[in-house]
Amino acid sequence: MHLDAGQQIGKDPWFITGIGILLLLGFLAVAGPFLVPHDPYDISFSPLRPPSADHWLGTNDGGMDILSELVFSLQNTVIFGVTAGMAGLVLGVVTGLFSAWAGGWTDQVLMRLADIVLAIPSVMVLILVAAFFQPSPVVLALALAGLAWPTTARGVRAQALTLKNSLHIKAAQRMGGSGRYIIARHLMPELFPLYLINFAAKTRMAVFMEASLAFLGLFDPGEKSLGLMISYALQYYYLDIWSNWLMPPIMLLSLLIMGATFVTISLEKNFDPRLRKTV
Amino acid sequence: MRIWKKKWSTPVLVYLTAALLMAYASFRLPHLLPGDFVTAMYAGSDVTLNAEQEAELRAFYQNTDGFQGYLRNLATLDWGYSHAFMAPVSQLFLQALPWTLLLMGTAHVLSTLLGFVLGVEAAWRRGSLLEKAGVGIMTVLEGIPEICSGVLLLLVFALSFGWFPAAGAQMAYADHTFGQWLADVVHHLTLPLATLILAYLPGNFLLARAGMVMVLESWFVLTARAKGLPPVRVRYAHAARNALLPMVTRFGLRFAFMITGALVVETIFSYPGLGTLLFNAIAMRDLPLVQGIVLFSSIMVLVVNLGMEYVYHLLDPRVGHAS
Repeated sequence: MHLDAGQQIGKDPWFITGIGILLLLGFLAVAGPFLVPHDPYDISFSPLRPPSADHWLGTNDGGMDILSELVFSLQNTVIFGVTAGMAGLVLGVVTGLFSAWAGGWTDQVLMRLADIVLAIPSVMVLILVAAFFQPSPVVLALALAGLAWPTTARGVRAQALTLKNSLHIKAAQRMGGSGRYIIARHLMPELFPLYLINFAAKTRMAVFMEASLAFLGLFDPGEKSLGLMISYALQYYYLDIWSNWLMPPIMLLSLLIMGATFVTISLEKNFDPRLRKTV
Repeated sequence: MRIWKKKWSTPVLVYLTAALLMAYASFRLPHLLPGDFVTAMYAGSDVTLNAEQEAELRAFYQNTDGFQGYLRNLATLDWGYSHAFMAPVSQLFLQALPWTLLLMGTAHVLSTLLGFVLGVEAAWRRGSLLEKAGVGIMTVLEGIPEICSGVLLLLVFALSFGWFPAAGAQMAYADHTFGQWLADVVHHLTLPLATLILAYLPGNFLLARAGMVMVLESWFVLTARAKGLPPVRVRYAHAARNALLPMVTRFGLRFAFMITGALVVETIFSYPGLGTLLFNAIAMRDLPLVQGIVLFSSIMVLVVNLGMEYVYHLLDPRVGHAS
């Protein structure tokens, strides 16, 4: 089934478009800071200039080059998204597998804990933490991961439970395979498509959160972030500079979330056994 | 009472624990900060406190009654005093709450109804050009965050065309009759509401469609058709009600997303609800106000989610039997 779906997804136009967008933006985020002509923190240019040959997107109210700012912001937003997505995924997969394999009381306790964490609106906790401690973005990303793992844990647990009763796992047990061996060599690899779906969905959510939290003013104002850029530019939206200052971060953020959305929806469609038929 | 059957104890316990955890975090976090954080926080703020106010705030955070006393204060609407707005936190919260409820409530009801009907109709016309275009448009819309669509709507309809106001919820100091006032409120509501509907509709549409496609393959739908029932009856009375379930289950998962979006949308349009209040509180580092808004919006979210759980049990009797 998996191989089949793997071949099929390569032909899904949504998947191709989404991956294309993400690769392009990923390249921009990694290589961009080396390509832009100015330091994004340099405030020596004359402020609020329209685009010119030297400043392709003009300068902002602080006299910083908007193009350089944009590229560094994109990088920070992507780092936040990937960190939170990765950490949330690892946490969820470990809890889910452990819960399914251990069963009994461990399972009960872990799943009730997942229910509780799932019920708490994560943005509110992040706002509280950010307002009191003003931590670095990486810490906030990890905190977000600490609140976002239950969905993954539940999905992984459900799939692992069905796998646990399948014949080849029973055979591996009879041959004397230890719990660790079976989890590492059988359960983990066989659930691989689930990881992709969850990673894509979590990263998308984290990028959205980062932009929103930055927009609400919860990040260090000196930090570069797409949300912060939108927030600053919006204060001057009535001036004629919105086309070169406000629009670029909006477009980049939309593209980023759109790419992640396309990939998530396409992966879900192709790998989720229940949704297979709806394609 | 019937709803207090055993199956009810688990969700109620889960949500109660979550609420207590939030309250405890809000109570405990200030104590974890090193040194004299009141002075440190307000040093970087637009609000200047005199020595008396500072001492008062310090006493508020050094609450000696412990967690129980904190909970008692919360229950009696004693949530502290906002020095930035010169008013009690509970008063500010209750002033902003109706606008947020109006905006989010309307957005939810409209986008759920519209998304459901459109999704059901799309699934019914599966394979047609109309359905494919609908799914395509909705997938693209799902990828546009509220920040972006909100700013675009603001630029186009408030700034360029000037059809709608760019800020506020009603005209200030206007001497309106009730009808004029209502029209004015709707006029101010349009843009933020449109932004939220654009954000919520695609998810509802895609979920309803996916659920309906699966339901349409069941035998009972074939039976209903074979009996010669009119298509509308087959669609809604027989099939669509079964497609409701996934929408209800996913609601809780999507809710945290929606809250975040609503905070941002209110800020973009300076709508005088909780989001804008929170934005201002953060900007002025008004800690008691931030805490009050965060805690009580969280509790409201928990109550809504618990309500959804109840609705889910009502809609699907199988859940009750399974657990």
